[in-house]
Amino acid sequence: MSLRESDFDCPHTPDAAAYVLGALEEGELRSYRAHLDGCTQCRAEVAALQPIVDELPASAAPARAPDALRERILATVRSEAAVLRAAGDEADRAPRRARRPRRRLAIGGALAAAGALAVILALVLSTGSGGGERVFQARVSAGAPGAHATLRQRDGRAELLVSHMPPPGVGRVYEVWLSRGAGDVQPTSALFDVTATGRGATAVPSDLRGIREVMVTSEPQGGSSRPTRQPLIQIALSS
Amino acid sequence: MARLRRTSVDSKEELRRLADEELMALVAGNDADAYEVVLERHADAAFSLAYRICGRRALAEDIVQDALLAVWRSGGRYDRTRGSVRTWTLGIVHNRAVDALRRSGVHERRRASDEGIEETLEADERTDSQAIENSTSLEIRGAIDVLPNEQRRVIELAYFGGFTHAEIASMLDAPIGTIKGRMRLGLHKLRDQLQGWETVGA
Repeated sequence: MSLRESDFDCPHTPDAAAYVLGALEEGELRSYRAHLDGCTQCRAEVAALQPIVDELPASAAPARAPDALRERILATVRSEAAVLRAAGDEADRAPRRARRPRRRLAIGGALAAAGALAVILALVLSTGSGGGERVFQARVSAGAPGAHATLRQRDGRAELLVSHMPPPGVGRVYEVWLSRGAGDVQPTSALFDVTATGRGATAVPSDLRGIREVMVTSEPQGGSSRPTRQPLIQIALSS
Repeated sequence: MARLRRTSVDSKEELRRLADEELMALVAGNDADAYEVVLERHADAAFSLAYRICGRRALAEDIVQDALLAVWRSGGRYDRTRGSVRTWTLGIVHNRAVDALRRSGVHERRRASDEGIEETLEADERTDSQAIENSTSLEIRGAIDVLPNEQRRVIELAYFGGFTHAEIASMLDAPIGTIKGRMRLGLHKLRDQLQGWETVGA
């Protein structure tokens, strides 16, 4: 009796289709990934079916991405590119120095933030590129050690960019606030999260006229009408 | 990290002549103009996919914004040996859209995966189907259309509905093994129909 290939069939190969479709349960997904490392038959099945799944997006009814969406994305990208250019290597270097103490500080940091919040001086960076563009950069409070925040203002629009920020917390989001002076804090619709590497960006819905300070706090999902925590970022605007 | 930089003489037109993979090398060097060309090429497909998955315009916009900014911010992680820029980008959109569906709860997901009840798109967001429909999407839709109903349904519930096989099994009141089998049969049938496509999928 000769052996056929099917005599060696891996019992897990039928899972490959569910795997490439993203339909395995979380626990199964982990064990199937581990299984793939050692099973050539399953790897071959995944390799055969993945290109088919990669084509499935083309079966969605075609729709045009709204222009406003494209503009929002591009505005953020251009802001970040400008900030990276303006900040040069500085932005890359500073957080690296701060990386080591960051974990330890982060634990006590939130508690310390209330008292330890320093007055932050905004630097107006000359970007050289465009007239009417102002970039305010600030280091941030003890609650977010190593983080950077930059506010870019151009043509009556403002964009806030952060890097190396800690996550806002489970079920929470960062909210942007505007202040016209002591005692005045206005909520904005600008809510944002940060990436795994701590990057985030949001348009600030204000022309900043008369605004003295821009702040960011961590708030429950959906945002708050008044700050419930101490600000992690405060950017003083020189008018 | 090797980052490419363009000289300032490069115009948008020259960028448009570059392949996606070349553009991504520039994006890794924080080149916003190169990114804009990538966005031009894939924003519609990204929005179509997000909308197909979540069925809501505002949510689809959020998902696309999030995903395409991730493409910008992690451009340096794009690895051309693992697929095209389009596949990579749409993979990010798919993951985020499914995550958003799962966060919004089963009821919403079931709603979104049932056909015909999606929010209606504004006229200017629906494309002239003749204009955008390329041969790839016609071919894949044709292939899906001729699948047996039960196979098409499990594939769509999984990929566009974000359901796991166990959830689909309970929705359709069928054993999990049956559901997995339909997924497998359906994908193999699609593959057979699209044979000769390897160059497209690769």
